[in-house]
Amino acid sequence: MSTPRILAWVAAAIAVAALLYAPMVLRSYGVYLLALWAVTTIAALGLNLTLGYAGQISLAQGAFVGLGAYFTALTTNAGLPYPLAFLGAGALTFAVGWCLGYPALRVQHHFLAFVTLAFTTLVFLLLRNEQWLTNGIYGINDIRRPTILGVATGRNVSFYYFALVMLALFTFVQWWILRSPWGRAFVALRENPLRAASLGVDVRRYTLMAFAIGSSFGGFAGALYAPLVQFIEPNSFQLTYSLKLLLMVLVGGAGHFMGPFFGAMIDLLLPEWLRFTQGYYLLIYAAMVVVLMIFCPKGIVGGFVILRDRLFKPAPVRRPDQPAGGTAAKPSA
Amino acid sequence: MMHTLRLRALSRRTALGALVAAAGLLALPGLSTGARAADDVFIPNIVELSGAGAVSGTNWRDGIILAVEELNAKGGILGKKLNVPHLDTQSDASIARAQVQKVMDDKPYVILGPVFSGSVLVTMTQAQQNEIPEIVGGEAAAITQKGNPFVFRTSFGQQASMPKIANYIRDGLKAKSVAVLWVNNDFGKGGRDNFMKEMQARDIKVVADVSTESGQVDFAADVVKLKNANADAVFVYTNEEESARFLKEARKQSLKGAMIGETTLLSQKVIELAGDAANGVKGHVGLSADAPVASLNEFGQKFKKRFNYANDHNAIKGYTAIYMIKAVTEKIGKFDSQAFAKALHGMTITPDKEPGILMEATWDQNGDIDRASFLGEVVNGQQKIVEVLPKIGK
Repeated sequence: MSTPRILAWVAAAIAVAALLYAPMVLRSYGVYLLALWAVTTIAALGLNLTLGYAGQISLAQGAFVGLGAYFTALTTNAGLPYPLAFLGAGALTFAVGWCLGYPALRVQHHFLAFVTLAFTTLVFLLLRNEQWLTNGIYGINDIRRPTILGVATGRNVSFYYFALVMLALFTFVQWWILRSPWGRAFVALRENPLRAASLGVDVRRYTLMAFAIGSSFGGFAGALYAPLVQFIEPNSFQLTYSLKLLLMVLVGGAGHFMGPFFGAMIDLLLPEWLRFTQGYYLLIYAAMVVVLMIFCPKGIVGGFVILRDRLFKPAPVRRPDQPAGGTAAKPSA
Repeated sequence: MMHTLRLRALSRRTALGALVAAAGLLALPGLSTGARAADDVFIPNIVELSGAGAVSGTNWRDGIILAVEELNAKGGILGKKLNVPHLDTQSDASIARAQVQKVMDDKPYVILGPVFSGSVLVTMTQAQQNEIPEIVGGEAAAITQKGNPFVFRTSFGQQASMPKIANYIRDGLKAKSVAVLWVNNDFGKGGRDNFMKEMQARDIKVVADVSTESGQVDFAADVVKLKNANADAVFVYTNEEESARFLKEARKQSLKGAMIGETTLLSQKVIELAGDAANGVKGHVGLSADAPVASLNEFGQKFKKRFNYANDHNAIKGYTAIYMIKAVTEKIGKFDSQAFAKALHGMTITPDKEPGILMEATWDQNGDIDRASFLGEVVNGQQKIVEVLPKIGK
C-alpha cells in the first residue's frame, strides 16, 4: 500500500472518530449544528449526483427537501410510523424528480435551470396557499422526533447520531452508485451525451434516473430536516435554499465525491466562525466565497486535487505501444 | 487500470477531506463546552438584522443598545452589568430557532426578540421548555393564545389593535366599504384574518381582498384592483418597505379612498421612504416618538442623537423591553428567570417609578400588554397624533 494511501486511511479513521466523539466536547447548539450539517450534506450529495456527475443543472433541490419535510411532518402527525414516512418521502420525491427530469430531455444548461426554478416557485406556492393541508404561511410547529429501534431521538445528541448513521448510509449508497455502471453512465452523459448514446447508454433513461435519485436524496434529507428543526414553513424551502445547496456543491467541488461534505460545512459553519465580525459577517462570507471561486473554480476539493498532484504526483503510466516521453494517463478527478 | 487509479484517487481525496472536515467542525469557537463569565447578566437578543425584517430588527436592536448603554453606565441592574449580544435570524424562523438553541447553552436570564411573528412562534416553545422568559416584538394574535407563561409582548397583539382600527373606520371615517391589501406572511395573514373578523362584526363590507408578496416591488396591478373596488377606505397591512412602495404607486395612480394603516403604515421609516406619497395616511399607532407624551419625545431625541436616524415603534419596543427587565428584577430582588415570569403577569410598571418604561404599561396573564395608544395622520411628511386612546383596562 502506498504512503498517500496509508495516510488517507489514517485520516479517514481520525475523521470518523472525531465525528463520533464530537458530542462529548460540543454543547447542545454545536451538536444541533453538526446534525444539521449531516442532513444538509445528504441533500447536497443528491444535487452533486444530478449536477456534478450527470451535468443536469437543478435549482429545485431545496423544493425536494421541502416536499420530503412536509410529507414526513404531515404523515407522522397523522399517525404513520416514522420509518414508513421516511421511505414515503424518498419515494414521493423520486417520482416527482423523475417527472421533473422530462424537461431535461428537451432543454439543457441555463434553460433547464429556469425550468427547475419554476418548479421551486410552484412548490412554494403550493405549500403556502394550500392552508387546509400545510397550515399555509404559519408552517407546522412542534414536529415530534422519532423513536428508532427503541431509541428516542428527542435529545440533540441522539438525533445527531441518527443523522450521522443516515449520512453514512447515503454516502455508501452514492459510492456504490458511482462505481456501478450507472455512475459511469452518468459521467458519460455529462461529458458527451452524443458519444454516450453511440456507446449504447440510454440517455433518456439515465437523465431521468439522475434527476430521480438526486431528488430522492433531497426528499430523504427533508424527512430528517423536519424532526431535527421541529418546525417547517414554506419560506424555508424557497429558491434561496436551493441556491444555497447549489452553492454548497460548487464551493465544495461539483463532481467530487467529498465536495458536498465541505460545501455544507462552509455554508453552515463559516457564518459561525465569522460571528465576531458582528453585522459584517454576511458581507465577509460572500466575499470569501467569491475569492474562493476565483482562485479555486473547481471548489475546495478541486484545490486539494491540485495540491495532491503537486505533492504525490503519480508516475506517468506508459502503455507498451507508447514511446518514452509520451502523454501520461491522467486519473480523472 | 484507469478505473483502479480513479478509485484510489477517490479514496485518498475522500479520506483527506473527511479529516479536514471533522477538524473544522470541532474547531468552532463558541460551540465547545466552557463556562461564560458570571459577573454579568446574560440577556441575548435574537433578531432580524438581515433579510426582510432588517428595518424592524435594526430599530429594535438600537433601542436595546441605547437602554443597555444607559443602564450599564449607571452600574447595571442590582449591581450587575448587562451582557446583551445581538444574533441575526436572517429573517428566517429556522435560523431563529437555532440561535435560541445556541444561547440556551449559556443559561440566559431573559431572551429578547425576535420581531417577526413566525420566528417568535417557533422560538417561544424553546423558551417555555427551558423556562426562560422571552420578551418579543411580534404582533401576531397567536403568540399569546397558546398558554405559554414565558412569552411577553412589547406592543399590542393584532387581537387588541384591530378592534381599535375597526372602530376608527366605523366611527371616525364612517366608511361603509373597505378594501384590504396585506402581505402574505405570518404577520400580514394574521392581521388580515383579525381585521376581516372585526369588519364582519361591524357590518362593514370588504369589497377587495388583495394579497401581496414579501419583498414585492411592483404594486401597479394591485392598485388597479383596489381602484376597481372603489372602497370608502383602503386598509394597508404590509411591512415597511412594501408599504412605502405601495403608497408611491397608489399616489401615481390617484387611488381614491382613505388610506388606513396600523402602526407600520404611519411609521417613520415608511414616511421617509414614501416621501409625499405618505401624506394623508391615517390610522392607529401603538407607539410613536411623535406622540404628545414628553417621555416619548425625549426618547426620540436621544435616539436620533445616538444613531443619527429617526426611530420607529420597534426602537421604543426594544428600549422599553430592557427597562421592563430592570423593573421586574428590582421587584423580585434577584436574577431568577421563573420568578421573573411569575412577577410580570398582572404587573403594572409606571413611568414615575421606572422612567425608562416611557408610558404606563400592564401585562396580563397571557403576556399581552395594555397601554395607551394613538390615532394618527401623516401631514407634510410628519406623523401627527390626533387622539390618544386610553388603556383598554381603564
